[in-house]
Amino acid sequence: MSEHITKIREVLAETDMVLGWTASGAGGVAAPARFHTAEEAAAAVFDSTCVHNLAVHLPRLKGRTVGIVAKACDARSIIELIAEREIDREQVRIIAVNCPAVLDVKAIWSRYGYGARVEDDGSELRVNGEMVDRKTFVQAKCANCTESKFASASASERLKLSEDFKSMSVEERREFWRDQYGRCIRCHACREACPMCYCRDVCIMQTTDPHWTGGGIDAGEAEMMQLIRVNHLAGRCTACGECERACPVGIPLMLLMEEQNRAIKEMFDYRAGIDPEAKPPLLTFDIKGDAWGDA
Amino acid sequence: MRFISGENIPELLESFSAGGSVVWAPRELTGSGGTVLFERWQTGDPIDLEHFSSLSAKDVVLPRTEKLFGYTYAFGGGGLGTSGLGGPSVGGLGGALGGAPGEKLVIEPAPPEPPTVLFGARACDAKALNVLDALFNNPEGSGYKDPQYQSRRDALTVITLACTTCDEACFCSSFGSGNAEKAGSDIILYPADGGLLAEAVTKAGEALLAGPLFEETQMSPPPLAETTRIEGLESLEKKLPGIFDDMDFWQRISERCISCGFCTYGCPTCYCFNIHDEMKGDREGERQRTWDACMFALYTQETSGHNPRPTLAHRYRNRINHKFSYYPENQGMILCTGCGRCIRGCPAGLDIRDVLSEALKESSKEQ
Repeated sequence: MSEHITKIREVLAETDMVLGWTASGAGGVAAPARFHTAEEAAAAVFDSTCVHNLAVHLPRLKGRTVGIVAKACDARSIIELIAEREIDREQVRIIAVNCPAVLDVKAIWSRYGYGARVEDDGSELRVNGEMVDRKTFVQAKCANCTESKFASASASERLKLSEDFKSMSVEERREFWRDQYGRCIRCHACREACPMCYCRDVCIMQTTDPHWTGGGIDAGEAEMMQLIRVNHLAGRCTACGECERACPVGIPLMLLMEEQNRAIKEMFDYRAGIDPEAKPPLLTFDIKGDAWGDA
Repeated sequence: MRFISGENIPELLESFSAGGSVVWAPRELTGSGGTVLFERWQTGDPIDLEHFSSLSAKDVVLPRTEKLFGYTYAFGGGGLGTSGLGGPSVGGLGGALGGAPGEKLVIEPAPPEPPTVLFGARACDAKALNVLDALFNNPEGSGYKDPQYQSRRDALTVITLACTTCDEACFCSSFGSGNAEKAGSDIILYPADGGLLAEAVTKAGEALLAGPLFEETQMSPPPLAETTRIEGLESLEKKLPGIFDDMDFWQRISERCISCGFCTYGCPTCYCFNIHDEMKGDREGERQRTWDACMFALYTQETSGHNPRPTLAHRYRNRINHKFSYYPENQGMILCTGCGRCIRGCPAGLDIRDVLSEALKESSKEQ
């Protein structure tokens, strides 16, 4: 860990702050922190409970030079933010970390109780001192990650849901989502946790003038809200999974993003957050109708 | 002490239902990764009395969306008329809705509240109802009497399950009698061999326990769980104003926050609401009251464009001050029961207990 701290201190010398993690989060796992001084950086950690995508803070910190600790999936969000000219490459220092595949901490706590002690030394994963199978609790996104040694190895219930969803008929999907949206409370955690949702206080889902969406909190409004959210992320979603992780009522929102990302890949041969120079397909306007032309 | 066997619990709920009551009970939802919520119970629905719910039970008195009244513009008749609402506000209301001359505005009042049973609430949920009563149903004290709230509250029976286990986020012991709190409940249930022990708190609860599904028992209740206790939270009422202007402090403690509204929507005592009209076409609509959250920027956005709480730190400061200073000052109670839902559900790993401890420390430093 001392190497990690040294790196953060180096970057701090040329930035206003570094976004990273400390071990002092709720429930005894890592939580986001801002390091402004070398002393503060002494508390920096990186482990498999560093689940958050810290890129979400970058648009809020525009105008300042910021260092950021990033997993491979988080880095994609940073690249996409640069590609969209939302943040300035010159004002960001990226500290890449070797990601051990992060844990679905919620799934662990759902089984062992909130705050159950999670210890991971990189090889053995223990919950309340008892060894558990890592494959069951690795986040579903990590199973599809080309950087991860757990690629395709996850045995989580969530990954099974992704598989089941693919084989559902349109009617079954409609039924499925009606059920899921019924418990949405419109807390907007999905939006606020998303690094690409940076419209902030002028979001179409809450503006009152014009009043684009209804103000009610019910399955119908939730469906509308999610369709808007998903569409606004077409070709921009970097599949970090934060919308779903943030959802306090367990709506598997990444099923929507996964479907759309697949469609974008097929139609435009595009994956968001790979190339900072790339033109995102839906941000490309071309009167000749050639989305890939240089006109 | 009374006793009900495990297999008789669905029958008990069924008897409420058959008697015309709406029943709310906690249930694990399918395909939700183990999320437990209070839902309207229907015959045959499973209930989950083991896990702690992700959201509070406040829907029973403060629905996430409620219709205050419906309205229709009708042609004909002379001038703007109203029906269904009494009092001097009617003229102003008609004006606000913008009826043109020659139109008649017809108001359709919200239907009366059905009797409701909340089953399986925890002490922190039940106490929260008491805390909310101090504002919404308190003409002598706060001066407010919210008719919708009051009619729901009057029609509500609260059956609470005492906590014999707790988790790391629970901190109800920091407030009054903690999980031994009986305020807000009609009946307290305790886990027991083969069923539940039941103790009446109110006359209404006593009448229910006299029913045939309950029997007399000599068993005594099990010991309750010991939750985290933070000392000195009452002192924040007087201490928080001292650090109100210390924006560096509020900035620092809210750094982690991403400004979603979960902590308020999951909270049993957060009651802020928005009122808006939802039109269906251009002739009719309904006036709705929905949950709103002080963590949203638009919450205090004024028509002029000015926002008195322009940053996340300002909004977070308000949330803490409202709960631990303004509400105690105005209503005589802390607006928190230590249920821990804001801690368990925070997507950014922010723990309000850390914030409160920091605030206590900071305010002693400055005084």
